[in-house]
Amino acid sequence: MLTKSSFLGIAAAALAMLPATAMAESPTVQQIKERGTLLCSGHNGSYFGFVEVNDKNEWKGLDIDLCRALTTAILGDPNANQIVPLSWAQRFPALQSGDVDVIIKATGWTMGRDTELGLQFSLPYFFGGTQFMAHGDLGITEAKDLEGGTICVEAGTTIERISANYLSTIGVEHTMVSYESAAELRAAYVANRCDAFAGWGPNLAVLRATEIDNPDAHVILSDQLSSEPISAAMRQGDEEFVDVVNWMLAAMLIAEEEGVTMANVEEMAANPPNPKVARLLGAEPGMGERLGLRDTWAREMIAAVGNFGEVYDRNLGANSPYNLDRGLNNLWSHGGVLYAPILD
Amino acid sequence: MSKADELRRKAKQRRFFIQAALVGLSGFAVAGAFMTARTNLEAQGLTSGFGFLERSTGWDYSFSLVEKSIMDPYAQTLFVGFLNTLFVGFIAIFLTTLFGFIIGTARDASNIAVKSAATVYVQVFRNIPLILQLVFLYAVLINLPGPRQAMSMADTFFLSNRGLMMPGLSVTPGVAVALLLASIVLGVVLIWNKQPLLRGLLIWMGGSILLSLIVAAIMRPEGEALVSIPSLQGLRFRGGITVPIELFGMIVAITLYGSAYIAEVVRGGLAQVPRGLTEAGQALGLSTGQIWSRIKMPMALRSIIPPLGNQWIFMMKATTIGVAIGFSDLFYIVSISITQSGQTLELIAILAGAFLLVNGGLAVFTNWLNARMELKAH
Repeated sequence: MLTKSSFLGIAAAALAMLPATAMAESPTVQQIKERGTLLCSGHNGSYFGFVEVNDKNEWKGLDIDLCRALTTAILGDPNANQIVPLSWAQRFPALQSGDVDVIIKATGWTMGRDTELGLQFSLPYFFGGTQFMAHGDLGITEAKDLEGGTICVEAGTTIERISANYLSTIGVEHTMVSYESAAELRAAYVANRCDAFAGWGPNLAVLRATEIDNPDAHVILSDQLSSEPISAAMRQGDEEFVDVVNWMLAAMLIAEEEGVTMANVEEMAANPPNPKVARLLGAEPGMGERLGLRDTWAREMIAAVGNFGEVYDRNLGANSPYNLDRGLNNLWSHGGVLYAPILD
Repeated sequence: MSKADELRRKAKQRRFFIQAALVGLSGFAVAGAFMTARTNLEAQGLTSGFGFLERSTGWDYSFSLVEKSIMDPYAQTLFVGFLNTLFVGFIAIFLTTLFGFIIGTARDASNIAVKSAATVYVQVFRNIPLILQLVFLYAVLINLPGPRQAMSMADTFFLSNRGLMMPGLSVTPGVAVALLLASIVLGVVLIWNKQPLLRGLLIWMGGSILLSLIVAAIMRPEGEALVSIPSLQGLRFRGGITVPIELFGMIVAITLYGSAYIAEVVRGGLAQVPRGLTEAGQALGLSTGQIWSRIKMPMALRSIIPPLGNQWIFMMKATTIGVAIGFSDLFYIVSISITQSGQTLELIAILAGAFLLVNGGLAVFTNWLNARMELKAH
């Protein structure tokens, strides 16, 4: 039986631990804080650009940086995470059984995963779709120029359907050669058996950077044939955790929109140019308590990994070996489709 | 009724019952497998049946003898694959037989150089797996110069890594296929009439060429020359006949491999001709060529034709390696249809049925040819 004084003591201790409002904290966030580590999904090998291992045996990539950002937001330390290597097939069971807290691994948002697999998806942070890559010496910039050309594609994939459909829609006469093996397909393209190669945009950029001798001799055509939203996936039923992940992504986008970078974040926090930036960087209260986090979580996060544009450029874009054009993955104000919810 | 008769009758009855039981049992096993598959498919919520054949495919493939589009239903696409298999198969059968006879004869020659060259050829191409030869050949072919740097002969024949471009008659693909069939029919008629080998070949080639020219002159599209010559326009060659590099590779690989087998069959047949007959020919003062065409070959054909039929059937089945290099033969079309439509059992049944039909036909033809070539008086 509790005495009155010990009960008050516990209540006071509990109050001190809770944020100012009586908001229920997400069980996942609670677990992460108790453990002191965030468990993220890795890959069994390298999925270049997104989840890869560098020559110093460290994880890097767009998805790894987002995991580091989330770790900083929750725990205040970008390195307090553990990357669990998983195959594509293992990722959903691993999330369900609690081996990882979140899947951030080039995962498309589909209805089946959202409903039957019991997952919850974040805002899309990447849009990837079918594109063409062509030999640069042909002087081609868009799919219309492929008139009369030969296009290679992997047999039995959705890319095969999407590209056949697209070329027939825009009325480009062509020859399609499809290969059962991805290795045979690459060899045929490199040997110039085909003028162009249809594939998933980021994979084409990676192929160009890693497996072809002279990356400048190949162009990825501007046509975007399809677009798949890539989101972080979480277990169903923990809405507060979904909020944390969504606002982590939103804060990175807002930072880019407002010109807050890794280099100037401290200066911006000290002299915020407008109330939005002040709120974002914790110079004004409100950003933290509503999510059950610290008020300065976004500032620490941007100081650790940068805004969304910096993360993209470092891993896939201009500052990476892949040099993948931002295209749809730019802010709405720069011709892309990425946008953040309103920070009020 | 005598005792012996009764015993015979009983033995006959017993045999009948055993056979009936065997037939019944096999029928039962087949029906059982069919029912099990059906139940299992239904339990997994998979749809079975041939309804998908009328749906349009929505995907494209490399080679077709007739007009194709991604709107074609599965049935038509599968038929195109079937035509491609027949096309490659019959070309391969024709070429392997031709080269097989030449190399087999060389294996039997008295000239040591000719004999050893033929032996080396047979040993090399017979002992390396066909798929390996094809993949190797394809890797070489796709590294040929591109279409803009194509190797050319007199600006009418071009070889690049897209294929072999050559002048052709200005006819639609449908007419070309009809001409090909007419040429095959002409060949069969000549064999039927028991034409001598050389004269038959001359009549067949001359007749085929003349027929093609006449048909092309009448059927050519308006305002086009009789013969169209390929020329480079944009990313590819226009006009003439294009043999895609995959088709070219398939024909060359199967021909090299199959010729080695048929050469051995021919050599075996020639070796069976009694020495005395050859010597009798020499005693009569016949030349080597005459001994070959009038004594050895007619005698050898009797033992060559049955195993030759076997090789023909094998050549037809060998077309299924097209899947390794992206050539759209029937097996390739079926395997893509399986991943795109999910109707595995139905498509495998179609594939098996198509090969049974073609190879059954080839077997019947071989038997007919064998009966036709039999030396009646021997």
